Amino acid sequence: MRKYYLLLAAAVFLLTTWASAKDQPKFKSIEVKHFPNAEGVELPPEFSDFLYAELKETLQKKNLAEQLIGEDEVVDSADAAQSVILEGRVLEYKKGSVVKEQLTRGWGGGRSLTAHVKMLRRSNNEVMIDKDIKVGVPAMADPKHLARFLAGKIAGEMKHEDR
Amino acid sequence: MRVRNFPYLAFGLPLLLLRFSAAADEPKPTPENTISIKLENEVKPQTFPRPIKFFIEKVVDRSGSPEPMRVIKERGGVFLDKQPTEIVQQALTDTLQKSTLLAADRPSADYLLTVYLFHFGLGEGTGYEFFGKVDLNVVVKNVSTGKSSEITALGTSIQGAALRKKNILKNIQANIDEALESALRNFLRGTKLRDAVVVPDAKPAPPPQASEIFRFVARPLKGRYDHA
Repeated sequence: MRKYYLLLAAAVFLLTTWASAKDQPKFKSIEVKHFPNAEGVELPPEFSDFLYAELKETLQKKNLAEQLIGEDEVVDSADAAQSVILEGRVLEYKKGSVVKEQLTRGWGGGRSLTAHVKMLRRSNNEVMIDKDIKVGVPAMADPKHLARFLAGKIAGEMKHEDR
Repeated sequence: MRVRNFPYLAFGLPLLLLRFSAAADEPKPTPENTISIKLENEVKPQTFPRPIKFFIEKVVDRSGSPEPMRVIKERGGVFLDKQPTEIVQQALTDTLQKSTLLAADRPSADYLLTVYLFHFGLGEGTGYEFFGKVDLNVVVKNVSTGKSSEITALGTSIQGAALRKKNILKNIQANIDEALESALRNFLRGTKLRDAVVVPDAKPAPPPQASEIFRFVARPLKGRYDHA
């Protein structure tokens, strides 16, 4: 009987340790920068600020960092090794077509956005993420929904990134 | 009334009524739809290499909004209790004062701040949330050198939409509070402010005085003539 109690206690201990390790933020701080548009990309004027706000909000919700800092804010040099900078660029934006979407029954014609995302370690500028991410929404939807989906995908990428 | 005027009247009267009804729908500020913006959390500015004092010269509204105190028009409107310029001035003054960075008066200041307010309130979102945005442009003027630097600071916040009026007011208030706090932090902890404050201090060495130049030139000559 004592053996079972010991096993149970060990299991509880492991589970609580795993849960607390999971809850801890991955980074000390994340600096989010505005994503500029590549030449020829025409997005609503508020899009850039909205994406910036969405990124900060989503990363906060996902508990990825102890602190989410604004663009060009100072960071304590002691935290630099565990801090990252998130930057990117909107490469392509397709407005989509409602007619095409109707004709293809939702298989094509939607709005889409492709962004190049880069995550750098603050201390040594080591590139941790460097990839293109594409998101899409129906042609009738507000283009700012793309910002929400993009922020969600970026947060997912950051969460699954090995240290 | 002449019969031939009747079609004009029939066409014009509904338009006139519509105009008056639209004017009646314009929301007015009341205690129930007015919110007060105050910083909930303290904003800690960065530490500067030497003690410096700022003085807020003025806060100028550059939003171009005809009604800067109205946050939204829908659902009976939501209004601010003060002008956005007053709110920003108060928040910045409190923050600087708490960090002992505020000069008592203009002559005792090292740097003068002129804040241009480009946006204060809600930004354009998707309609499913409240997107708070505070956009500042601060001109930092060094009193001793007269040199000015322009610093932009942006604060944003996103809160979920609400259905009940009470929750709408609560969410908008929290949203603008957070955006203001974030904008002030962005300004006071920004590398641009550090550069504006630290770089002008690295002054070149003052030019040597005329007496020093004379001494330097005269020294070898002095020895030569003494020997003679």
